[in-house]
Amino acid sequence: MTTTEAPAPYGVPLPAVAARTRHTLGRVLAALARSAAIFVPVFLVATFVTFALRSLSGLSPARIQLGEEATPEAVARVEAQWGLDRPFLVQYGDWFGDVLHGRLGTSWTNGADISTLIGLGLAVSLSVAAFALLIGVVAGFALGTVAALRRTTWVDRAITGFVTVISVMPAFVVGIVLVTVFSVGLHLFPSAGYVPAEQGLGPWLAHITLPAVALSFDVVADVARQLRGSLVGAYRENYVTGAVVRGLSPRRIFFGHVLRNGLGPALATLGLKFPALVGASVVTEWIFGLQGFGRFANDSAQAGDVPAVQGVLVVSIVLVVAFNLLVDLVLARVTPASRRGV
Amino acid sequence: MPPLSEKLLTGTAKAERAERAQEKTPKATEAARTAGAGPASPSGPPSPVLALRDVRIGDRAGGREIVHGVSLTLTPGSAVGIVGESGSGKTLTCRAALGILPAPFEVTGGSVEIDGHDIAGLFPARWTDLRGATISAVFQDPASYLNPSIRVGAQIAEVVRVKQGRSRRAARRRAVELLRSVQLRDPELVSSQYPHELSGGMLQRVLIAVAIAAGPRILIADEATTALDVTVQAEILDLLADLRERTGLALVVVSHDLAVVAQLCDEVLVMRHGEVVEQGSAEDVLHHPRHEYTRLLIAEHEQYGLEKFRTPEEDA
Amino acid sequence: MTRRVLALASGRIAAAVLAAIAVLALFGPLLAPHDPLATGDHPLAGASGAHWLGTDYLGRDVLSRLLDGSRVSVLGSLEVAFTALAVGAVPGILSVHLGRVFEWVTLRLADTLVALPFLLFAVAVVALLGNGLTQAMLVTGALVSPLFYRVARAATLAVARSPYVEAAIVSGASTGWIVRRHVWAKVLPPIAVALAQTVGVGFVIVSSLTFLGIGVQPPAPTWGGLLASDLGYLGHQPWAPLAPALLIMVTVWACNLLADAVRDVSGEAGRALTGRPGARPDQRSETAPAPSGGV
Repeated sequence: MTTTEAPAPYGVPLPAVAARTRHTLGRVLAALARSAAIFVPVFLVATFVTFALRSLSGLSPARIQLGEEATPEAVARVEAQWGLDRPFLVQYGDWFGDVLHGRLGTSWTNGADISTLIGLGLAVSLSVAAFALLIGVVAGFALGTVAALRRTTWVDRAITGFVTVISVMPAFVVGIVLVTVFSVGLHLFPSAGYVPAEQGLGPWLAHITLPAVALSFDVVADVARQLRGSLVGAYRENYVTGAVVRGLSPRRIFFGHVLRNGLGPALATLGLKFPALVGASVVTEWIFGLQGFGRFANDSAQAGDVPAVQGVLVVSIVLVVAFNLLVDLVLARVTPASRRGV
Repeated sequence: MPPLSEKLLTGTAKAERAERAQEKTPKATEAARTAGAGPASPSGPPSPVLALRDVRIGDRAGGREIVHGVSLTLTPGSAVGIVGESGSGKTLTCRAALGILPAPFEVTGGSVEIDGHDIAGLFPARWTDLRGATISAVFQDPASYLNPSIRVGAQIAEVVRVKQGRSRRAARRRAVELLRSVQLRDPELVSSQYPHELSGGMLQRVLIAVAIAAGPRILIADEATTALDVTVQAEILDLLADLRERTGLALVVVSHDLAVVAQLCDEVLVMRHGEVVEQGSAEDVLHHPRHEYTRLLIAEHEQYGLEKFRTPEEDA
Repeated sequence: MTRRVLALASGRIAAAVLAAIAVLALFGPLLAPHDPLATGDHPLAGASGAHWLGTDYLGRDVLSRLLDGSRVSVLGSLEVAFTALAVGAVPGILSVHLGRVFEWVTLRLADTLVALPFLLFAVAVVALLGNGLTQAMLVTGALVSPLFYRVARAATLAVARSPYVEAAIVSGASTGWIVRRHVWAKVLPPIAVALAQTVGVGFVIVSSLTFLGIGVQPPAPTWGGLLASDLGYLGHQPWAPLAPALLIMVTVWACNLLADAVRDVSGEAGRALTGRPGARPDQRSETAPAPSGGV
């Protein structure tokens, strides 16, 4: 064995210290950097498109304030007040600068500060969305896991069938069914309105439960389906055989090995689900009479209040980006293998 | 040029092993059916750690029999090799002994005893106790048998902790010791790395370290060196031989490569189409092959076996 | 491929349901027993011989309104699917062949679009750019297009890396010829899967928008609009939302079923390319799961 000591088997020529640092802090930073690299351009493009909407729409605050009969001079005067006579790119630059400082401008319809209005709505919407995510994750997790552990049995088939049914139920259909059964029929929950958590946890939960359940169906379905798929896939992997041969118990293999690797795709699904959740809030808040973010979006859009709509879109993008960053960070912690392909 | 079989043997099969290879044990009644040679027993008749008696494996759905009766007895510190082309049933036989036959297959006849326990009546919990602590295995493609998202050291420490009840810190220390004992340079570094950061040869060493972490008495090496290049393969084989001598580990070495088996084993089974076509001491099988297929295997080696030129130190 | 899809029970069921929906869309107004806009004297009546599904709050025949409204939903969802296909697939295929700059730009754009809550954008854009369903569907189609972009790109990449395409490139074949001759066959099945899925998504979007009263002027009947008007009278007619809700759900389900059937007959390749099931975390950026039923 003259060649035994050749350096060939050592694929990583890094010094030990560097390698270890890379594992801990570096992993988190790399995930952040990668996410930022994707989302900074996303943000720029999306805000530009959003801002261009006003020019494309031809809407003007003068129309809203002065009515259809306004003279061209009056219209020009109002537009100048709003700074709309300046070149497009200058307007975009100013607006973008304000957005970066958290200022979203004032509403065309009532002159109120849009940031404040959206902030009020967000408290409602985020309560509902967070609760919906919680339900979605817990229920989806339970269903997906049980289906995977009992794969190819009737339990698996029953869960798969149930998941298929709820996956084709749009949030507003679920919402109507829930109102019919639990509010109108059984009087268990209030059918509309919102009570802040400060005025009592019970009433708060009572008001957000039905909308959250309505929103959660889609999340439950996707998480369950994805988790079942990836867990079943993980159970087919050789490292499970390896763990069995090492004499680890089925429990330990599931929690320590299979779940760890099966979790990634389900988490990634959650990141992709969030925009849908924000979108669907438009409909569910309408059904449940919640003065939330989605309702504000709908009302401003129908009123032609362009700055308000722009504000809504910017905030929705920020929400989506922030949520995806969060998911990426968790992903990086759970499965370092996810970095390999990127 | 001396015949290949001699060269294959002289590497590690020491003279003593060849001497004791002819002994017969009373238990090897089934073995007599094929080759007449019993398993090796170093001094006296120690109880076998692994005994397969006429093990038959079939396809539950199709009712087809895939493996038509394999018998072998493994005593502490001995090594049995199974040679055959892919699809000959050698891997299924190993998996049957480990209790991990894939879905449609099951043991349809014969018996497997691990350390005196018949595996037919084993409860899952008992299996969990037995695996790792008494019987363990390494396979081809070592990367896939390690969890990709857990550091190597933690995977070894987990086995130590669970199987031997050591503390977290002691298990970590033991993991590094184990990595050192499989002759990895810088075991601390390796212990903190993920499987995808290691080369194939290193991974196979890691897999061996994991497999022996709970101090098993039997190690099944199923094509453990197949995907490795020749020098690394030789190192791994040396490592296995070393472990066997140092710790009294009994080996089952499965390979399609006659040279690998010859280098490590006292007894050899040659399998083809699920049938044991020849069984006997390594020396016998290599020097005086009785079956046509064995002769073919040896002849192929002499024709194409370039290994002998690449590893000149194997030439005695 | 069509024949093999129809050989599956699921494929036949899906095709039958979708065919029935198509018939409704084409001939619905002719099949309607009453004028969908004619108000009657018996508002909120239950099912009867004259009104199989009862009447709404203005005494209009619900069945007639459902039949009449089917055309809007079907046209709208087809519009979404084909806009998405047009906007997404071509850049997806080209991104592999037109060099790194184009690839980078289109990838970032796809990331952008997929990150946007598309119902919110559809609502915003429609309200600002004019209250028409067509605009809404075009916008939604553009926002869903990353699905086609990724599917087409993944399939093209798979083909581009295969030896026979390399051979074609080496032998001096033009880009156009390679796309036509080799890429198309590989791209078609996953595109068909994505089309079926997006038609389903389109249905949900049209229903959601019409539910909000966006895109269609009030007296005109739509499935979503029916649900919205039922919402106000749940106390009187708790079962009223059942018919339009079931219609929407069955249609979406049939679309998904068809997508699964196509995926099944196109084998592992199609399965891998469309993400679900079991997309690995490290392939996240290349195979985004398809947007399923919800919005």
